[in-house]
Amino acid sequence: MGDYRQVQAGSKPLKRAYIAVMLWFVGRAIQAAARVDKAVREEFEQLPEGFTFSLGVQPRGPHMIVGKNQRGRVKYLGWRPEGKVVDLRMTIKNLEAALLLFTFQESTAISICRDRIDFDGDLPPALTVIRTIGIVEVYLLPKLISKLAIKRYPVLPFGRKYLGRIRIYFRSILGY
Amino acid sequence: MYKLESYEFFCPVKFSSGSRALENIPFELEALSARKPLIVTDKNVTRQGLVRKMINAFKDSGVTIGIFDSMPDMPDMQLVTELSNIYRNGEHDAIVALGCGSIVDVAKVVNIAVSYNVKILRDLAGDNLIAHPLGPFVLVPMLAGTGYETSKFAFIENLTFSSYFLMPDLVVIDSRTVRSESVQTTVATAMIALAHAAEAYTGPAKNPLTDTYAYAAIQYVKENLLTVLHKPRDRDGRLALANAASMAGCAFSNMKPGLVHILGEAISAMFHIPSGISMGVLLPYGLEYAMQKNGYHTNDLLFPLLDFDEYAGTAENLKAGKAVNIIYQLQQDLYNLTGGKIPRTLEEANIPKYMLDDIAEKVVRDGTKEFDIDDYRMVLEHAWEGKPMAHA
Repeated sequence: MGDYRQVQAGSKPLKRAYIAVMLWFVGRAIQAAARVDKAVREEFEQLPEGFTFSLGVQPRGPHMIVGKNQRGRVKYLGWRPEGKVVDLRMTIKNLEAALLLFTFQESTAISICRDRIDFDGDLPPALTVIRTIGIVEVYLLPKLISKLAIKRYPVLPFGRKYLGRIRIYFRSILGY
Repeated sequence: MYKLESYEFFCPVKFSSGSRALENIPFELEALSARKPLIVTDKNVTRQGLVRKMINAFKDSGVTIGIFDSMPDMPDMQLVTELSNIYRNGEHDAIVALGCGSIVDVAKVVNIAVSYNVKILRDLAGDNLIAHPLGPFVLVPMLAGTGYETSKFAFIENLTFSSYFLMPDLVVIDSRTVRSESVQTTVATAMIALAHAAEAYTGPAKNPLTDTYAYAAIQYVKENLLTVLHKPRDRDGRLALANAASMAGCAFSNMKPGLVHILGEAISAMFHIPSGISMGVLLPYGLEYAMQKNGYHTNDLLFPLLDFDEYAGTAENLKAGKAVNIIYQLQQDLYNLTGGKIPRTLEEANIPKYMLDDIAEKVVRDGTKEFDIDDYRMVLEHAWEGKPMAHA
């Protein structure tokens, strides 16, 4: 039949690159915030030692993998989930949904409500991770933007907020 | 709530709706273990740029898709055979129907052909002869449906296939694919959804689960049809109507065909008018007929048609009449808004009065004997004259 054809749909390299950079930075910022911020530390204390979670985009990534090692330290474990045992897999269903989330057009909570993110794992750790990402976003983003990304903007003392922000940025860039 | 008698309800359809729903298809296909879908559509859809949008939705998925976009107006079983060969030779593992009406019918029957190893496909036509699940089937409807896209039915040539396994695994309703259609097409799509949903909501097979689908469908049609006709660019309204059409299809799959459906289809077949238009004309008369048998169910119909305060403020014995009057008013509004293009009566739909008996006889002759021939005649006569039965 002449009107049948097969098509390879191609890719969206710029969008993918943007999401990859965002996930890379947020992953490192979570690691940094777990050392800097008390609230993030307390959230991670609720997770078992050795717990690992990933946040990524279907079907071909990018991903970020973060884990808590046996000594209780939170580490960014890179962007490749292959070969890693992941306890909680959070999958954004497509690149466009990831863009809505990471351009802060949609908050994490709304994105979940609209079924743009799929969860594979237990609910309590998933909620812990979402709360953690929310706190990290408060540190990383100006109030005007982070208010779009989270449910309720927290009241943080001036020193904690701005010193914490500087320390988290510094540690995220240097990766420790 | 009404007393629950014995009932069954089955709906395997997952809905994915929204402004960027198309992009979910690769994720959902993967969940269905499919990696190489065949998209079935027609040239008109391609011309509207929707195939391009579909391809874009697959970007970055690494998936190779097959596209067949030459669906003829009157497809036949020969086409089903050819498409089945394309599916097998192209090593496809899922079917995505992009469009409405015959596109979906063919896609469903092709899915039977590639999932079943039978020599003569016609042997599977009929009620519930398809006894096991078929391959992954995704429906991306437009706002130009026949009302059966989401349902358990597929029609081709003079064959009717009926099985719950024909219902799509996934319906993707994206505001980019439910574009403005002609006024008549939009009204026909909405009114067939309203008729099916209203008959599910008031009919004898009513149950709490058909109610859920039917309630939402009725409310979405009531709240959005006139708005969309006033403002064809209203994306949210069109999305709501397309949702209503799909929900009504699910409800319809779980009910016995009502009188409005039966007569509407017969008129459509005999006089070549869209079944949504004929059902739109017949709906209030069919509901008045139903009121005589199960008025308390027709009372309930007022609930999705009115806001809660007005519903609660209406006396119980007036609810059914008020619900039917709202449908009459909707007919009148459609007539006024379209300058008379949408008929209120069968006379305005150019059905000759002397043919009413023939319609009733055809319905009985075709084997639809749920109702008495005199009942068919009575409803047809009232709908022809535009004379409400309550005042007969």
